[in-house]
Amino acid sequence: MNEEKAWVLQAQQGDDEAFTRLVETYQTPVFNLCYRMLGEPELAEDAAQETFLRAYQHLPRYDQKRPFATWLLSIAAHYCIDRLRRRKFSMFSMDAEDEEGNSVELPDVDFPNPEHEAITGQTQERVHEMLKDLDTTDRAAIIMRYWYDYSEKEIAESLNLTVSAVKSRLHRARKELAGLWMEQEDDLLAEMERRHHESPAF
Amino acid sequence: MNHQPFETWLLDDKHLTTTEKRELDAHLRECRTCSALAETGLVLRSTRVAAPRPGFALRFQHRLAEQKALERRRRTWGLFLLVSIGVGAFSWFVAPYVIKLATSPFQWFISITGYFLYALTSLKAIGEILTVLARVVPDLLPPYAWMVLISAFAGMGLLWMVSIWRFARRAQGVLA
Repeated sequence: MNEEKAWVLQAQQGDDEAFTRLVETYQTPVFNLCYRMLGEPELAEDAAQETFLRAYQHLPRYDQKRPFATWLLSIAAHYCIDRLRRRKFSMFSMDAEDEEGNSVELPDVDFPNPEHEAITGQTQERVHEMLKDLDTTDRAAIIMRYWYDYSEKEIAESLNLTVSAVKSRLHRARKELAGLWMEQEDDLLAEMERRHHESPAF
Repeated sequence: MNHQPFETWLLDDKHLTTTEKRELDAHLRECRTCSALAETGLVLRSTRVAAPRPGFALRFQHRLAEQKALERRRRTWGLFLLVSIGVGAFSWFVAPYVIKLATSPFQWFISITGYFLYALTSLKAIGEILTVLARVVPDLLPPYAWMVLISAFAGMGLLWMVSIWRFARRAQGVLA
């Protein structure tokens, strides 16, 4: 932690190498937040880069009393929310993504079983798709809560909301996700049923 | 079906006692809504962290260098534009006077004295108009109207100050 503070101080004094160390330290959390918010790895890369650029530009105004990670993720969340709002405004659909979404590299998990891996991958994909249906601020709150274990107070500080607003947003988002989950389960069941009753081609 | 208190337990991630856990399990077996809520909670907690492609920091360094170069160019052009405007304005407004001064200093002295006299006379006239207004206007409006006007101005001033404070606070915080 002290090392991080030293890097921040050095970066505030114009040391670009110190800032690069901060980038290396926080690239994954920032990228992950942007990826979960925007849904596409290319957009997430651009948003994460922009987040660090904004952090670099506003570093002299950074308050050392605040955790650097919270400040950084707050910039990322606000940037993604603004970007999504602009995109919504320009009627650009989030579903219009290409098939080259495989450039995102997920860390290896200890599941050597390919079948289990496939199921886990499907579940991850389902969560990723469901997140897209949430309101942008609700989505940011959910990501901060479940990916970063942020407390309601930390989320409130990051998103400029009150603690009670964060709580109600989290509740609403969780209920919405559960609803979407049930819908998807129904669709999956119906699909399985259909395939079961389908006659073979020959 | 009554979802309480199970829904709240699930949403608040409450730490449950053995009895509560047993009650929740029994409810989840019967309630599909709460079951989906519990399942999504588990799934959210087990989701992976996505990492960027290797070389992210290097790409950032390139982007930062590009941004700095862009800002340098912008500053240079800004300075050039400012100097050009300054030189242009000087040539347009000041140069005729300089030329005039150089050609006939006496004529110039008379013009300047004339301008000063004009300015002094105008200031005196404005002062007299204001004195007359100060005498007449208070009688035109009743005291309560003055109170309303002053309160409105004070309110607008307060609103302006609060707005400035809020924007300054946002800028110091996180919004870029």
